[in-house]
Amino acid sequence: MTLVAVGLTLILLAGLAASRETLFRVLLSAGCVAGAIPALAVLSGDTVRDVRLSPAMPFGPWVFGLDALSAVFLLAILSVGAACAFYGLTYLAHERGRRAVGAAHLLLAVLVASLSLAVVARAALPFLIAWEVMAVAAYLLVVLEHERREVRRAGMIYVVATHVGTLLLFALFAIWGGAGGATDLSFQALAAHPPFSAIRGGMILAVALIAFGLKTGAVPFHFWLPEAHAAAPAHVSALMSGVVIKMGIYGLLRTIVLFGAPAPWWGWVVLALGAVSGVLGVVWALAQHDIKRLLAFHSVENVGIIMLGVGAGALGLAYGHPLIAVLGFAGAALHTLNHALFKSLLFLAAGSVIHTTGTREIDHLGGLARPMPATTATFLIGSAAIVGLPPLNGFVSEWVVYQALLRGASAGDALRFAGLAVVVLAFIGALALACFVKVVGVLYLGTPRRALATAPRESAAGMIRPLVALAAACVVIGLVPIAVVPPALRVGSLVAGIPAGTAGLPAAAAAGPATVFTVALALSLFVAWGLYVAFGRRGQPAQSATWGCGYPSPTPRMAYTASSFAAPLLDVFRSFAGVRIHRTAQAFATHAVDPVLDEVLVPAWRGVRSGAAWLRHAQRGGLSQYLLWVGAAVVASLLYLLAVGRNP
Amino acid sequence: MTAEALIALGLLGITAPAVPGIAVKTKSFLTGRRGPPVLQLYADLAKLIRKGRVYSRTTTPIFRAGPVIALASLIVAALFLPLDGREAPARFAGDLVAFAGLLALARFALVLAGLDTGSSFEGLGASREVTIASFAEPTMFLCFVALVLAAGDLSLSGMFGAPLAAAWPHAGASLSLVGVSLFVLLLAENSRVPVDDPATHLELTMIHEVIVLDHGGPDLALILYGGALKLTLFGVLVVSVLVPRAGLSGLAALALLFAGLGVVALAVGVVESVMARVRLVRVPQLLVGAAALALVATILQLR
Repeated sequence: MTLVAVGLTLILLAGLAASRETLFRVLLSAGCVAGAIPALAVLSGDTVRDVRLSPAMPFGPWVFGLDALSAVFLLAILSVGAACAFYGLTYLAHERGRRAVGAAHLLLAVLVASLSLAVVARAALPFLIAWEVMAVAAYLLVVLEHERREVRRAGMIYVVATHVGTLLLFALFAIWGGAGGATDLSFQALAAHPPFSAIRGGMILAVALIAFGLKTGAVPFHFWLPEAHAAAPAHVSALMSGVVIKMGIYGLLRTIVLFGAPAPWWGWVVLALGAVSGVLGVVWALAQHDIKRLLAFHSVENVGIIMLGVGAGALGLAYGHPLIAVLGFAGAALHTLNHALFKSLLFLAAGSVIHTTGTREIDHLGGLARPMPATTATFLIGSAAIVGLPPLNGFVSEWVVYQALLRGASAGDALRFAGLAVVVLAFIGALALACFVKVVGVLYLGTPRRALATAPRESAAGMIRPLVALAAACVVIGLVPIAVVPPALRVGSLVAGIPAGTAGLPAAAAAGPATVFTVALALSLFVAWGLYVAFGRRGQPAQSATWGCGYPSPTPRMAYTASSFAAPLLDVFRSFAGVRIHRTAQAFATHAVDPVLDEVLVPAWRGVRSGAAWLRHAQRGGLSQYLLWVGAAVVASLLYLLAVGRNP
Repeated sequence: MTAEALIALGLLGITAPAVPGIAVKTKSFLTGRRGPPVLQLYADLAKLIRKGRVYSRTTTPIFRAGPVIALASLIVAALFLPLDGREAPARFAGDLVAFAGLLALARFALVLAGLDTGSSFEGLGASREVTIASFAEPTMFLCFVALVLAAGDLSLSGMFGAPLAAAWPHAGASLSLVGVSLFVLLLAENSRVPVDDPATHLELTMIHEVIVLDHGGPDLALILYGGALKLTLFGVLVVSVLVPRAGLSGLAALALLFAGLGVVALAVGVVESVMARVRLVRVPQLLVGAAALALVATILQLR
């Protein structure tokens, strides 16, 4: 624990030293390493002593601890946080003088530190403080480019959504802690709660789901996410999409740890939310033309996959199947870490493209593989990982979630219907493949679709290095399931409240052969490529133009666009797809809308505002009118008392 | 991993190009033509391998890697299938996810290789291919769920091997439906009628063919061989579900497998002769129909 504290202090110091780049790098790396060491130790089975600040603190002792659940999130926060901070140094370098770049670096350090603090906090008050600091730091980073109107709008939506979530958290702890009438709100005290009545227990679970669902961006609480993630600078989007939204998942899992086995309905609701988020997230992503909004919607999709795992785990716990519970939670935890890695990789690689081309419109770009080979290669690895292709990390965690669901199918009791979620997971995977084929194909392959102001070129080494590091992490985790599945099962056992290493054994046993498979696959891909190169050496390949059915002079306008690519799939989903299609005799264009934000929330908000405008007639500022209201109120009260017929 | 299993795998690899040949021959026979010989694909492959290579100036190494990765992942996928009806060379709990992942990896590589040319034709084909796959993959997993329930095992070796044979007496109806559903999947995943027509000559109507329009010579040979292998793998799935062979000796089981593959190829030829292609917008409906069959099969097991 001391090492974590030292690490967080170093990270904050690094933020203060942001104007001295070398010092920033050294302090930040040292801080992240210091924090990651105990996290790794805990994940491999060690225990770390809690730190207690007592007794002078309000609402019980302030406890900080590090268990396997905290450790896996801490690891994701520190690794992605370091990559994003390093990337940000170069990404914002040309803004120096125009913007408060130093403040941005400081805020990023504060964000990383508050995230870390939130996952090690073991009492309600420090947790809420860390949570709020995190929300505010993230808000300030989102509105970094505040001179743009859509950035201010996104920031406002984000800050409203996150505060509604925080408010619900206050309510959550109040309902929970109020049960015994105690003022001790440390997690230990919360966990030792007297048995809840069905209603109070249900309220706690429901409030936790909404509050943490808002943070994690599950449908229908996702509306703030694409806005905020598209508006923020690339490295902030990466950190938010990779890590900040995962705090909602952390909250859900921590709730289960403290609450004990949730009621079955909660598991079904989480599973259903996961299924809906997963499918709609990827369908909406398909409809996007803005690369960052597209990636943001993929975060909604992946949160869906994670929630399928959480739901399967909760159901396993509710129906008394320890193996399924452990597998579900383990899959969720592992996919959280994996998604943190590949999603931040994708956002940073997209940032590299935006940095050099100055546009986020997919359909304006094309053929970037030639000028930007490193960005392309890392983006390709990230894409294959997020789609869940072997031998990369996305495959490993999806494999664990699949196992939970498949074992659920053969469980016998009501849980067996959860097995049908396998189909949803497969559907999500196939749609994600379609979407990333679209992105990679349109952004990096083919020919440029428009002339750009300046020729695109590869980003500076300071931006490429974090990309390579994150891509390497994706590959390594994918290659050695045996190294990551047992720690994930440890996390799963912790959440399920089962001694580690008992229930998860069949899954741990499969990790060995799975490792043989992934390594063998990687080797055979290499060998196949080697053979191909060796045998293909004879004769120089001829160069020619792409076959155009005999048409000799193709123009950029003929290139296939992202709109056209996604159209057949979106046609199938029709009104769910969140697309407005403009079709004329000469042109075809699609325009993406968010069904929840643009079609429900914004109209509802307008309704509230026009209702309020109508109320304004009652408040004109004239004294006689106010006297009239006072008189009317008195008369109304008297009439009420008369009707009730007694003096209260 | 026994020597026997590897020999079976080798045999499967050698005979794979004959499977589409049988389908084409059947179709030719039923439509009153003579048609190319059954072993035509072998001659085509031999010819293509000796040819030179021509690459578009737009392409990157992704274009060349596509066919290689696709074929390599299909070969690795074959390792998970129990060809003797009992045990595959490789197995682990949940290897069905790996099998599906390998098919997806093959598709990912080929489709990106197509998009690498920058041609709208390839874009068209890529878009159609991933659209169809989006509906084919859940259907395949639904079939797998039914098989997991029947066999009580999370590996393909169990689902298509000995436990499946034991499940036939009490889950026969469900397994037959899974077999039919897998056959529709075979048609869709391998671009056969009624989803795609391998004999079409117009780029605008193609799906699979148009993605590989710019591949030629040895690269095309890899793709054609990969296509034949994929058809054979799906054939093995169909045969394994419908004809459990765990009770037979190794040799008899293999002989039955290859006879079954011949029958599947015949059936593909018959379907191609008696059906027209469905409109592209109807393809998802066809696959949802196949998924409905698999869903019924699953529910029969879940009840």
